[in-house]
Amino acid sequence: MTKAKQRFSALAGSLVLLTGLLAATQAQAADDAIAAGKKIAFDRKKGNCLACHQIEGGTLMGNIGPPLMAMKYRFPDKAKLRAQIWDATRNNPRTIMPPFGKHRILSEKEIDLVTEFIHSL
Amino acid sequence: MKRLILTFGLALVVAGCNATTPEKAMSLEDQYKAALARTQAAVKKAASVEGEWRDIRWKKSKKRYLPKAIEAAKAGDYQKALKLLSIAEFQAKMGYEQAMAEKDAGPWLYGL
Amino acid sequence: MKKIATLLLSAGLVATATQVLASTPEEDLQKFRAYFQEKFPGLKLDDFGNGAYALDENKRLQWESMEEFPPYEEFVDKGREIWEKPFKNGKSFADCFGPDPSKVRVRYPHWDPETKEVVTLEGDINKCLKENGEKPFKWKKGPIAWLSAFFGYEARGQKINVEIPNDPDAIKAYEHGRHFFYAKRGQLNMACADCHVKYPGHFIRGNLLSPALGHVTHFPVYRAKWAKKSKDGDGLGTLHRRYGGCNKQVRARPFKAQSKVYRDLEFFHQYMSNGLTINAPGYRE
Repeated sequence: MTKAKQRFSALAGSLVLLTGLLAATQAQAADDAIAAGKKIAFDRKKGNCLACHQIEGGTLMGNIGPPLMAMKYRFPDKAKLRAQIWDATRNNPRTIMPPFGKHRILSEKEIDLVTEFIHSL
Repeated sequence: MKRLILTFGLALVVAGCNATTPEKAMSLEDQYKAALARTQAAVKKAASVEGEWRDIRWKKSKKRYLPKAIEAAKAGDYQKALKLLSIAEFQAKMGYEQAMAEKDAGPWLYGL
Repeated sequence: MKKIATLLLSAGLVATATQVLASTPEEDLQKFRAYFQEKFPGLKLDDFGNGAYALDENKRLQWESMEEFPPYEEFVDKGREIWEKPFKNGKSFADCFGPDPSKVRVRYPHWDPETKEVVTLEGDINKCLKENGEKPFKWKKGPIAWLSAFFGYEARGQKINVEIPNDPDAIKAYEHGRHFFYAKRGQLNMACADCHVKYPGHFIRGNLLSPALGHVTHFPVYRAKWAKKSKDGDGLGTLHRRYGGCNKQVRARPFKAQSKVYRDLEFFHQYMSNGLTINAPGYRE
C-alpha cells in the first residue's frame, strides 16, 4: 500500500472505532438512564409507580392506572409521555395520578430518567 | 421648563439608584429574614384554606422544611436555610392554589 | 343606584349560595347509595360494612379466619372495665351516657344547636371525664378507643342514624365535611373520593381499596398495621386516627383528632352510611 493509502485506512479505521465507541457509550448511557429511571419509578418514596401501575419486573402492583407496556406505541412522542408524568391533570383535571413535576414530587432530572425508563417499556 | 427638566432628571436619578441595588447586595442573613417572612405568610395563607401540605412544618414529618430552615439559620448556615425556605414557600403556595382550585369540589365531580 | 347595587349583590349571593347547596343531604345520600349499589351489584346494603372484604374472595377468607378469634376482644373488655369503673368522685360514665351502654353509639355524631358544633362519641367521652374531674384520654388510641369499641360492640345490629337538622349551621357543617371528602389535597393531589368513590375494588400496591359506603360501621377499627406498631399489640384506633393517617399518606398536613374539620367530615361520612348496620369494632389489615 502507498503511504497515502496507509494513512487513509488508518484514519478510516480510527473513525470507525471512534463511532463504534461513541455508539457504545451512548447505548450504555441510555441503559444507565433506564436503570436509574427504574430505580426511581420503583421507589415507594419517589415515583412509587407500582402503587397504581403494572410494570414488568414489579411485585404487588396496583391496578388503578393502565398497565405500562407498549409505551412507544402509546406515546410515539416521548415529550408527551414526559408531560403526562409532569402533570397528568392537564389531560384530566380529576385524575388520581399525582402531578410529579408540577408539585415537585420528583426533580426535573428524576422525571427525565423516569421518562426514559417508562418509554422503554 | 427648567422645573420640568429638574423633576424629570431627579426621577431618573432615583430610578437609577433603585435599579442599581441588586438583591445580591443584601446580606445572606437579610435575604433569609425576608424569605422567612414570605414563607411564614404563605404557610399561614395555605392553612387558612385547609390547604397546608404535610412536610412544611408538621412535627411528625421527616422533612419539616420550615423548622429545619430556622435551625440552619440559627447555626449560621444561611445558604441551607434559604434552600429549605424556598421548598417550604413553594409547597405553601401550591397548597393554597390547590385549595382555591378545589373550592367547588363536591359529589358532582364524581358523577354523584 | 345604591338600591340596584344592593339588589344585584344579594342576587349574586343567593346565586352562589344555591350553587353550593346544589344538593341536600338527603339527595346526596340517595345518589351515594345508588352509586355504590350499581358499582357492586352483588352486594346487599349491609355487606358494605365489611369494606374491602366484601369485594375480594381471598381477602375475605383471611379476614374471616381473623374474626373467629378476634384480636380486638381483649380491648373491648378493657373498654367494658373503663365503663364499669367509677370516677374518683363516685360518679361514672353511666351518669353522662345513661345506664344502658348499648344505647350510646347510635346517638353519635349529632349536631348540638347550642354550641353549634358536631358532637362525636369520643368528644363526649372526654367531656364526661373532664366534667367529673378526671384526666381526659388521648384522642386516637388507647382507653378512648377501647371504650368507644365497647360502645360499638354493644350496639352491634343497630342501624346508623345520623340526623342533620334543617338548621343552616348544621347544613354548613355537613357541607364542610362533604367538601373535605371530595376535594383534592396534599402534595399527591388526592381526594378521599378518589380512592373510595372512584376506585374501590382496585388495588393500590397490595391493598384493596374500600368503598366509602359502609366505611364507618366498624369503627373504632382494629388494624393489624397499628397492632404491629404497638407495644401491646393494641391495634385499635378511632375514626379520626385514620383520617389523620390518610391525610398524611397523600402528603397533606393531618388535622388534629376531634378538630372541627374532622368532626364535620365525620358528620358527612357517617351520614352517608345511614341505614347500615353497626358491626364495630372491625378487624382490618
